[in-house]
Amino acid sequence: MPIDPPPSAQSAPPSAQAPGLNPAERLLNLVIALVNTNAAMTKQQVRTAVAGYADAPSDEAFERMFERDKDMLRALGIPVVTVGTGGHTDELGYRIDQDAYALPSIDLTPAELGVLSLAAQFWQDKTLQTDINRAMVKLRAAGAGDPSADALAGLAPSVRAVGDAYGPLMEAIEARRAVTFSYRAAYNGAVLTRHVEPWRIAARDGGWYLMCFDRDRQAPRVFRMSRIESRVRITGPAGAYDIPDFETDVMLGKAHGEIRQAVVAVRPERAGALRARAKPVPDGEREAYSERLPDLSDASAGGRAGDQAGWDILEVPYRSLSGMASEAAGYGAALVVLEPEAVRAETLRRLTAAAALGFGTGAQAGAPRG
Amino acid sequence: MAERADDRLLRLLGIVAYLDGAGPVSVADLARRFGTTPAQIQKDVDALWVSGTPGYWPDDLIDFDAASIDRGVVHLTEARGMTRPLRLGTREAVALVAALRAMKATGAVQADPARSAVVESALRKLTDATGEAANAVDVRLAPGGDRQVVSAISSALTTRHRLRIRYVTSSDVVSERDVDPVRLHTQDEYAYLAAWCYRAAAPRTFRVDRILEATETDVPVQDHPGVGERAAEIDFAALFAGGSSPLATIRFAPRARWFAEEVPVESVRNLPDGDFEVTLRVTNPGWLRSTLIQLAPYVRSVAPAALADDVAGAAAEALALYDAGHRPGSASGQVTDPQTRDAATSPNRH
Repeated sequence: MPIDPPPSAQSAPPSAQAPGLNPAERLLNLVIALVNTNAAMTKQQVRTAVAGYADAPSDEAFERMFERDKDMLRALGIPVVTVGTGGHTDELGYRIDQDAYALPSIDLTPAELGVLSLAAQFWQDKTLQTDINRAMVKLRAAGAGDPSADALAGLAPSVRAVGDAYGPLMEAIEARRAVTFSYRAAYNGAVLTRHVEPWRIAARDGGWYLMCFDRDRQAPRVFRMSRIESRVRITGPAGAYDIPDFETDVMLGKAHGEIRQAVVAVRPERAGALRARAKPVPDGEREAYSERLPDLSDASAGGRAGDQAGWDILEVPYRSLSGMASEAAGYGAALVVLEPEAVRAETLRRLTAAAALGFGTGAQAGAPRG
Repeated sequence: MAERADDRLLRLLGIVAYLDGAGPVSVADLARRFGTTPAQIQKDVDALWVSGTPGYWPDDLIDFDAASIDRGVVHLTEARGMTRPLRLGTREAVALVAALRAMKATGAVQADPARSAVVESALRKLTDATGEAANAVDVRLAPGGDRQVVSAISSALTTRHRLRIRYVTSSDVVSERDVDPVRLHTQDEYAYLAAWCYRAAAPRTFRVDRILEATETDVPVQDHPGVGERAAEIDFAALFAGGSSPLATIRFAPRARWFAEEVPVESVRNLPDGDFEVTLRVTNPGWLRSTLIQLAPYVRSVAPAALADDVAGAAAEALALYDAGHRPGSASGQVTDPQTRDAATSPNRH
């Protein structure tokens, strides 16, 4: 890192350092010069010949300006390559190789361009929107026609904001560099500093996750990004690790959630959202569950023992045991889990804990609600 | 706000590369293509006109036909070799590819072969152009509800026909409604249909997984200005906001952290032992009751007491059903409140 300029210079606009040209125009002239140079240009040639650089008031100011400009060009996808100038000096030369930065021809139909434009609305984060907008400027420059929105009329997919960690994590993943941050663990709420090698970031079910190798634990780990409490700092050297091949969902533990079936008893007309993915248990099989059904016979006149009146018996697919149990518990007295035992037990655990929350003051079981 | 130098550079280079392939183009068309104003395009052309290779003699410079400019047409006559459009940077490719992959997997795209084909071909051309597939970001959105429902909605959006839907609210109330669909918005774990609802005579947002049935009618939709405009779409804060609603304070064990992350709350206080306490407005008591039962093992305390009792009462009522239907020795033995037993044996109150 170059030494910070004194505060007065820092607050001045960049043009104050280069009164002749604004930074965009200086960068433009640098690109044109380095693309058109026969072999390469030395730093000194850049300083004296390229419009905008002669204004640098000192060697340090020029060095800073040139380094910053190279970084900016690299970020835009225009790498400045360093070459030996040959001959008797070991001075370095710089040039831009057009083949390295040119977009291969990409012939997008209006409908495809419309799809890409929709992708631009996908992200909520400013930094990702900037990335997409730049991509769109490049694609429009490549001559793509006017986008047509017809193909995806009325669709508006989007994902929740990733947050500030995205920038440094992407940079770290790209360069294979380690990072450090402080993280609030969900199991005990403690905040600890973590040192990890980032592999991938993923969004599932409304959360963003960082998949990485945890250097402290010496094992792959998943961190929920909303629990990162500090800035993510890039610490290690580039190329410090390899990223293995892996499936996001396997690492997140979702692939283990095969689809299973639970059997529940539901009051007529209730639990509508659950009914949307459930199907009724055939009449012949209902008897098997009678023992577990709430016996309402003494309340419903003329009912025989084990009367199932007042209940629909449904089969509901689920993947996650805790998800199914939570959903079932959330319906309260409108639903009873009959099978399997594990879902029933987890549902009872939630209901039992909830029943213990009360103080017994006034609002009691059966009080009107809704 | 002043434009960033890198964004302007991108456009300056883009203009030259584009004009090199496209021939003369009007200032207005250039402005539209690059998402800026005609005045800015004029400034860009002025800047390009004096840029070039070192020496900066007339022959070194990017050049335009002066007569055309006077007619509002930009006609590039010398590009100084800057004819190649820029390849996409890694981050740009990642952002586009991840968005397209996520879109491809949504129910609304899967439901329609023509849509799938367009998304897929855009994705293929993009990955062909950017080289190695960008795996650094992997986004999966909600599956988006019942296949038939999603398919009816997306067809109605295309044909601009009215829909008849059967909908169940978060309070578990089912209703039939005629709606004019405006937009299908998939965000994270849920898809939402923004529509004009004739029953409410107002714009409404419906969660697609709560739409039990959807039937496309042959009635064309009408214009309902202002419905489904993007900014107004899913305003979660507004859904939960309610200045006059009563406040509740809940203390959670650390494992319930997602509650503070996903539910708009007034405040979150981290406690020294790792617990946290949230304060929120109770705008939807049915939802809160149900959510607190789901999270109960991680709920340490609920205030005010009336809310705690409401939650406990609903849970006890449910527990009593298990008690009534099960033989001795089950978990139901933990419920001994006689009032709860009364509730269980009383007739169905719904």
